[in-house]
Amino acid sequence: MSQSTSEALFKDKRLGFFLYLGVEATMFATLFATYIIYTPAPEGPAPESVYEARTVILASIFLLSSSGTLLVAESGLKDWTLWKIWTGIGITFLFGAIFMGLEVHEFYKYAHEGYTIGANNFLGSFYVLVGLHASHVLFGLCWMSLLMVQLKKNAIPRALFIEKHKIFNYYWHFVDVIWVLIIIIVYTPFLI
Amino acid sequence: MQLPLVGDIPSDVIAAWVLSAVMGVVLFIFVMKKRKWPLIWEYMTTTHHRKIGTMYILVSIIFFFRAGMDALFIRMQLAVPNNDFWVFQGDKYNEVFTTHGTMMIFFVAMPFLIGLMNVAVPLQIGANDLAFPYLNAVSFWLFLAGGLIFNMSFFMNAAPNAGWTAYTPLSTDGFTSGPNNNYYIFGLQVSGLGTIMTAINMIVTIMRLRAPGLKMTRMPLFSWSTLITSLLILVAFPVLTTALFLLTFDRYYGTSFFVDDPVYYQHLFWIFGHPEVYILILPAFGIFSDVISNFAKKRVFGYTSMVIAIAIIGLLGFMVWAHHMFTVGLGAMANTFFAITTMMIAVPTGIKVFNWLFTIRRGVMRVTTPMLFSLGFIPTFVMGGVTGVMLAVAAADYQYHDSYFVVAHFHYTMVGGTILGVFAGIYYWYPKMTGKLLDEKLGKWHFWLFVIGFHLTFLPQHFAGLNGMPRRVFTYTTEDNVFGFNVISTAGAFLMGISMLFVIWNIYKTHKKTDNVGPDPWKGRTLEWTVASPAPEHPFEPMPKVTSIDPYWYGKKDNRELEVAESPRPSPIAVKTAQPILLAGTLMVLSIGFVYHWIWMQVMAGAGALLFLIWRFFTDERIEAYRKEEER
Repeated sequence: MSQSTSEALFKDKRLGFFLYLGVEATMFATLFATYIIYTPAPEGPAPESVYEARTVILASIFLLSSSGTLLVAESGLKDWTLWKIWTGIGITFLFGAIFMGLEVHEFYKYAHEGYTIGANNFLGSFYVLVGLHASHVLFGLCWMSLLMVQLKKNAIPRALFIEKHKIFNYYWHFVDVIWVLIIIIVYTPFLI
Repeated sequence: MQLPLVGDIPSDVIAAWVLSAVMGVVLFIFVMKKRKWPLIWEYMTTTHHRKIGTMYILVSIIFFFRAGMDALFIRMQLAVPNNDFWVFQGDKYNEVFTTHGTMMIFFVAMPFLIGLMNVAVPLQIGANDLAFPYLNAVSFWLFLAGGLIFNMSFFMNAAPNAGWTAYTPLSTDGFTSGPNNNYYIFGLQVSGLGTIMTAINMIVTIMRLRAPGLKMTRMPLFSWSTLITSLLILVAFPVLTTALFLLTFDRYYGTSFFVDDPVYYQHLFWIFGHPEVYILILPAFGIFSDVISNFAKKRVFGYTSMVIAIAIIGLLGFMVWAHHMFTVGLGAMANTFFAITTMMIAVPTGIKVFNWLFTIRRGVMRVTTPMLFSLGFIPTFVMGGVTGVMLAVAAADYQYHDSYFVVAHFHYTMVGGTILGVFAGIYYWYPKMTGKLLDEKLGKWHFWLFVIGFHLTFLPQHFAGLNGMPRRVFTYTTEDNVFGFNVISTAGAFLMGISMLFVIWNIYKTHKKTDNVGPDPWKGRTLEWTVASPAPEHPFEPMPKVTSIDPYWYGKKDNRELEVAESPRPSPIAVKTAQPILLAGTLMVLSIGFVYHWIWMQVMAGAGALLFLIWRFFTDERIEAYRKEEER
């Protein structure tokens, strides 16, 4: 065999997953376009009065640094240093969870102030876009907990765990890139 | 019709229930008697590309009959002026043309082509299966689930009624508040997910699993068109998904994106919708290229230009969407831009047409059924292309827009292109699916009746349209001066319907009377004809080494066997699993929960779908394969 099974199949999966991320990117691109078209809305709440810098900055700090902590886990995968993998995933999970909490807090607060999804199209596109991103983070958290379970149980071959972990890494970094775009396109124009 | 307990139900819905019940019982008895349960179970749990491809085609044929019946109802209603056929007037008519269009595009043409891709592409490129066999099964069952959701609407007397485009604001809850268009949304979302997964699968297969030596520049044209089509799907379908997602929010959660800005929906829909028609036609082009080259006994003329033409069509396909919106009022600049890009598409398409003609020229022709369909396609599609260029003239389009001229045009391209291509492909690759060769004589009957019926149906519609008959109207008066065209059209539609009965007869006769054929019944040129019919699992063991285009043909010509490649890459892992079908079932329940706003059902089925992901995570077939490798 010129190529080991795990190596070849990993490369298949990686290409497939990158293509899938392309699909996701197209969906987000469409939602960004939607947001740009409808913001600011001719009537109803204006983004300047809705957004609150503190939550956005806090959330960004946690989510963006979680991409960094995931790199620790990635470096642990190379030579299978368990403590690095555990630390990496653990902190990433924690930061992701804090981000999630801040998002829920943000949405809850806005809704309480009367800025609901149906108030106008600006808020509609805001909630759909940022909400879809948040649900990606939530999905990623579930994914991470499954990874941790498998690492703990040590029930799957190491090559497969590394494969699954790497695919997850791509996902998490992608979700982070989307968040950067959200900061740039959604929040910044109305917070400065 | 007034029924006890359920109330007023139109009689066509009742007829459908009765007919389905009877057919269900007959089918059940047949399966019991013939003891086919193990076979059915085998197909329900398979991940093999040939079996999945066959199922795609089988289901498409069933949906084709169902959507074809809609077409016959439409033609019956329009046969004579001021007609009152059965129940198909007013909103009922809206439902019948909506289902006809949506079914034909999403649940007939697409899966037909995807089925043929499944069967033929891995065999053409020397792959032992698609890259992700499990995902392939998921794709198929999602497509079927979407189709069933969509079809269920009719049985629940709530068929979608806003046209296959579901234009807003008509499709928002302010105008169509019932479950009807919810069915449309969720049927398309579920099957669309399957389509996206298939596209990913095809691209990875083609990029990574080609036989050694089969460079991209030696790849058969059907595989090439599959690759480009899959790329189009990857960009186009997510836009539809997002548009329907936003529409869902409008209908369910109180936003008003498309109520305030209906044109935005039109943009999104056609940014998907125009690439979609190239998604439908490019694979057909690929089929014709392979078939014509095979039966003209010649290498395809201008191979490189064929590939470039497909790529350019694919690219231009994303730059023409607003030609569906010439009359919206986007302004002269926009209309001019989109008119010019649209006309530009005629250039690569023309190149392809001439290449087919030059392939035939001085070839040693064998006029078999697949070849006959290809020969019928060329003039038919050219006519559709010419009306396409006419429609691209933005100023003139103000006259053609939403008239029967448009209806005639897109049927000439979709039926005259895609469906003829699908038929050619089915006759051509039938041995690879089932091991048998379809009867040639009945096949030719099918061809002639279908093509004559086709032209009878759609040629007069050009003139009806030019005489001012609009689309989507359920009747007209004698003074409208379109009666003659319509009655001919109706007669032609029935001829097409009859021709399809020959397909059934043919399949029945072939399976009753004939034995399996050998690997190469058509004296083929490409790798799929080197493997047994029907294609076995892991057919390329040993793996052939490819040294030229049409490798099998040149091998036969020089009287040599294909070289064997040493140390080929590992094959994808096949599994037997019921997970995909159960997952699709769960998503179907989830969709029904959404259609009827049953939140408890949404929560339960949603949680169920997520549990599937966990289940899959722990039952990955790679666990075993990688472990073996570890132990070695």
